[in-house]
This record gives sequence, structure tokens and C-alpha cells, in this order.
Amino acid sequence: MRSPLTPIPPRASQYGIEPELVKTRVSELPGMTSVLLKELFPDLPEVIYPSTEGLAAVRTATVNALQKVDMSKIKPEHSVNILASHHGFTLLGGEPYAELLRTIKDVVEARTGCKNIRLRAGVGLRFRETEEYIKRYGLDKHFNGKAIGVAPIDQGIAIETEIGTLYGIKKVYDADWIIHAHNSDVREVHFHRQVDRAVKPFGMSYARIETRSTYHQNLGPRAANFTARAIFDSPFVQSKFAFAAFLTMAPNGIVGVDVDSDLYALNNRVTEIGCRYYGKMMTLLGEVDECIAALDFPAPAVYVFSAGVIYANFAGANTDLYDLEMPLPAYTWYTESFYGKRGRPLLDEIPPMNKAIKMAVHNYAWTGYPCAFFTEHIPTVVVGQEQAELFNRDPQNLSYMKHAVVSESTEAAMEFAYKTSGTRKVIVFDGAMGGINVSEPLAELLIRKAPEVSERVEELLLPKWLKQRGINL
Amino acid sequence: MKVVNLLAVVEEDKCRGCKICEMVCPVVAIQMENRIAVIDSERCRGCAACEQRCPDYAIKMVKREQPIYVKVDVSAVDYTQIEELCKKAKFNPEQLICYCTATRAEEVAAAILQGAKSPEELSYLTGVRTGCKVECIQPLLRLLDAAGIEPQRPKNGWQWYGKTVTVWEIPEEVKQKYASRGFYFDEDIKLLDRVVEAPLQGRSDT
Ligand code: SF4
Ligand code: SF4
Repeated sequence: MRSPLTPIPPRASQYGIEPELVKTRVSELPGMTSVLLKELFPDLPEVIYPSTEGLAAVRTATVNALQKVDMSKIKPEHSVNILASHHGFTLLGGEPYAELLRTIKDVVEARTGCKNIRLRAGVGLRFRETEEYIKRYGLDKHFNGKAIGVAPIDQGIAIETEIGTLYGIKKVYDADWIIHAHNSDVREVHFHRQVDRAVKPFGMSYARIETRSTYHQNLGPRAANFTARAIFDSPFVQSKFAFAAFLTMAPNGIVGVDVDSDLYALNNRVTEIGCRYYGKMMTLLGEVDECIAALDFPAPAVYVFSAGVIYANFAGANTDLYDLEMPLPAYTWYTESFYGKRGRPLLDEIPPMNKAIKMAVHNYAWTGYPCAFFTEHIPTVVVGQEQAELFNRDPQNLSYMKHAVVSESTEAAMEFAYKTSGTRKVIVFDGAMGGINVSEPLAELLIRKAPEVSERVEELLLPKWLKQRGINL
Repeated sequence: MKVVNLLAVVEEDKCRGCKICEMVCPVVAIQMENRIAVIDSERCRGCAACEQRCPDYAIKMVKREQPIYVKVDVSAVDYTQIEELCKKAKFNPEQLICYCTATRAEEVAAAILQGAKSPEELSYLTGVRTGCKVECIQPLLRLLDAAGIEPQRPKNGWQWYGKTVTVWEIPEEVKQKYASRGFYFDEDIKLLDRVVEAPLQGRSDT
């Protein structure tokens, strides 16, 4: 068995505990091993990052991809907003996304002579998150002080769309041109269902609260992402849109950089790669019969990564998240809101949270996202009183600790989990690159099941998923 | 329902009077006095919106010595009226409309039936929209609208701009146009309608 892969280190942030308080990573404990994703699915694409070339590969790929896009409409006297989102900085340590942003700025400036290029970095529910990244990656310097984080409660701007008025963040659109700099990582497939994934930030990280609430409360679980399309297609946004530049992601790393002035063409490519590769990984994780899920990554509990998949999606891996015939995943905000006062779903067909997760060990994860639904439905041990206290102070997680217990160390938490759950299978959500840190019995299960899963996805599921999204191979 | 255990406190020497905190506070607890932000500590619901947006880092969240329990008494209102209002706004009364504070539609409806007339009053009375501060604005506007109330936006504030479309109102031609692109509008309408009509599980918290 291979030794475990290096997890993503803890990050200093107002949303998490001090990195020095994270004394032990779950992957360091006895019995842990790793499996390379290419071993599980040999057809996964080759990646440019991580690789021996390091960040230079991202820069080169970005420069090359930008060559195909026409920038002639950007004049030296114009202003340009490069639009970014927090999500990109959570991928593979964050540097590759920062390098994408830096390179776009450098190339646009060199090609067009335009000097007024700003960075506008949107957030989810941690309003200062991208502000932290801007400092961490030196983006404020690179953008000559013109890099800011923007939040959904900042001043808004009305945008007329074919479904009525929706609202964007004013500072996102306060330039002549916008460049949509994102990535194809699927992350919240429980929300967007891989429908218009590439368009989503227009309805989310670039949008005001009214729009985000429309997405999560007004449209329904499978119509939700239409908010993004409506905004993007609006004459206002179209009049400013220059092009999109994406890090193309697979569960094993960055495959390349995709640039297009036709966002829907790019979206079709993103949809295919998302369904095929992430679909395989999620389907495989759905085969896990029992396990302890260890959360050990600098992001809110729902967003900790393992094999390119987030914990929120593992919690719903008992259902096919890609199948649009299935209305409600086990976890999505619509699902959460449809639990009545006795703690039971209001409709019988609402699936329970993934029963294979016998226990969650929250070794290290951030606040800043409502996660109480998870501790309510999955027995959870939180490591360290400091972390418990941080959650008790988070207005979004006032009930998180109501349903969780506290353990004083990672070792003690895992021992407790082993004893009470009775399983030796462990999956670690620690962002390990190119592979997955697991316990030996789980490694064996994944290796055994992967070939059948791969075949099932290729032959049965992928054609159905793509057809549901109007994509012909 | 919310247990408010935090309080926003301004560090006066850092405040430059930009008014941003005032414009984002969901319960209108901040006013400017002599160009310095002053927080009404009884009104503050501990959401940290001001602390998170102050450009000068002049606001700190501190733990309250005595938490405030914020809750509207649902039993004080005839429940059939609550049911009617929720259904008109297309919510099941037991449906959660604020994930952070676990506030259900019935509590917000009860607050409206007892006289609340704006999202700000609803946030003050129930704690709704004082967690993530993002996701629950539309349910509040929908419930107010269903009660025939046209709320006034706080003057010069950014608290909210307007009610938006629901899936029931998506034009037919839009549905047709995107039918093959994975948007299941009609199917989601059916699902949400069934949620609205789903039997209540009981008034266990009264
Ligand atoms: S946001 Fe900060 S600087 Fe601006 S008025 Fe409020 S406390 Fe003062
Ligand atoms: S309610 Fe929120 S925004 Fe208003 S003063 Fe309190 S913490 Fe600040």
C-alpha cells in the first residue's frame, strides 16, 4: 500500500482556527494509505498541474489559450474587470488560480495597451474570504492596488432579464469590459446539477442577495441555475462581456486552460468533462458501504475536498446527483428546508443523508457556511474546544455544536469513531492532490469497484446525463 | 428563532464615517452620530454584516454576557391564518426559510400577521436573515407580498432592492426555449406544489 499523500495545509483565516492548533492531520495516523486517481480510472486526462513544471505550466497554458481570443474591442482608454471567485483559490492550494488571474492581466495589458485592469473577486458566504486571498497571493500588488473582494450585500445594480429584474453587485460591472475568470471544478453539483456550470457565478458570486435567494428559494432544485443564464444573457451583461478564461479541472488536477468568447461553447465542454470524470468519482464514492468521513481541509465543512469531490456531495452520494430525473439530492438547501418540525422530510421521497457515513470526524474545517444540517443528521466529533467555540460564535452555525461532541485530539476522535461506528473504512477530505487518502480497507474497496463503475458511467449513465443537458457527444 | 449571542461594537477611533455598516445592517440597528457609527445594542442581532463589510475594520463582534432569545409566538395567531398566508406565498408553514437560524415560514407569517411590515422588522423579531444574510430575502418579500404589504426599503440602504421571479411565474416561452438544456421548470413546480400541500408534522415547539 502507498503512503498517504500530503494534505493541503491549514490556512490562517478569520474563518478557521489558528493553523498551529491543527496538531495532527488524519492522514498521518496509523492505517492510512492513498490511492492515485489514475489507478482507479486510467482514462482520467493527463494534467498540467500538479506536475514537475509547477506554476509555469499554468502560465504557459493561459498565454497559449488567450491567443485564440479577439481582444480588439478592448481599447487602451477602457477599463476592464477581471471577475474571480473564492472557489478557485480552494483548488490545489490556490496558487494555480492566482496565476491564471495574474496571467490574464499581463496578457490583456500587453495585447491591448489597456492599463486600467482591476480584479473583482466574489465570495460565497464568507464576505472577506477573497480579501484574504488577494493579500495571500500578492494580487493587490500585481493589480497595482486595484484588487478588491466584493460581497453579496454590497451596493447592487438592477439587471433586466427575460425573467424580470435580477440584481448584480455594482462593483462587478463598473468597467467597460468584464472577463469571467473561473474554473470547471464541479464542487456544488447538488446545487447546479452540472447545468450551466460555467455560467453559475453570474447568478452567485457576482450577484446580490436577491438573485442568490431567487436561486435557492424561488426556482426549485433543477430550475435554480437559470438565474445565472438569465443574468448572463441580459443585454446589460452581454454589452460588457469580453470573454471567459477557465482552468479546466478533473478530479486529478488541472487539465488545461480554456478560453472562449462564447461562454456556452465553453460550457458544453465543461459539462462533458464534469459529467464524465467527476461523475465517475462520485458514482464510485456512492459504492462505499460504510465509513468514517474525516474533514481536514481549509474550507467550511461542506466544502472540504477528497478526490475533487466535496463532503456535501459525499453526503448525497447515495443518490445519482447527475440524474435530473431525481429532483432532490439528499443534501441541498431545498432538501434541508423541506424537513418539518418533527425532523422528518415533508415528502416521503426525500432521500436521507448518505447512510454509509457512520460518523464524521471534523478535524479541521471552517465556519462561514450553515452546516448544522450535517451534525443533525450525521454523528460528528469535532476536534478541539477552540474549534467548537469558533462554531458557537458563527452566526451561520449557532446549532452546529448542539448535535456534535468535542474530542481533545485527532487521535482520540478517530479512536472514538472506530469504536462506536464499528467500521475501519475511512475517507479523508484533506485536498490531497492527484489521489485520495483513505484507510486500507477503503482503498481495497475503491480499487475493486472502480472498473465496474467506469464501465457503468461510460455505457449507461454518461449518455443519459448528457442527453438531459442537451449535449450530443 | 435565534439565540443572539454576539454584539457588534464600534472602535470609534477607527471609524471614518463611511456609512457602509448602516447601509448593510438587516435590522437597521446602526445610525451615524457626529460621523461615527453608533450601534443600538438592544436591536443588534449579531449577524456580523457590519463587521464583515467595514472597510476600516472598525467593528468587532463580542460575546454578549446575556444572550437574547428572539422568537415570535406562533400560538398567538390563529393557525389557519398562518396556513393561508404561507400557502398564498407558496410555502409549507413548516418549511425552513432561513437555514442559519432554523426559522420556519410559520414564524415569519405569524410576525406579519402581528403587524411586521418590512424585512427589517421581520429580521429584528425572528432573527431571520441574521445568519448568512443572503439566502432568505426572497421568502420574506414573498410572504409580505402575499399579505398585501408593499415594504419600504430603508432610505439609502443596500439591505434589499426588490422581489424577484418565482418558478410559477417563468414565462411559457422561456420554458420552451430552454426545455432541452436541463432546466426542469414544470417538474420543479410540481415538486414545490407538493411541498406546499404536504401534511404538517405538528406544532412540537409550542
Ligand atoms: S463601516 Fe466602519 S468606517 Fe464605515 S461608518 Fe461603519 S464603522 Fe465607520
Ligand atoms: S445586526 Fe448585524 S449588521 Fe446590524 S449591528 Fe448587529 S451585527 Fe452589525
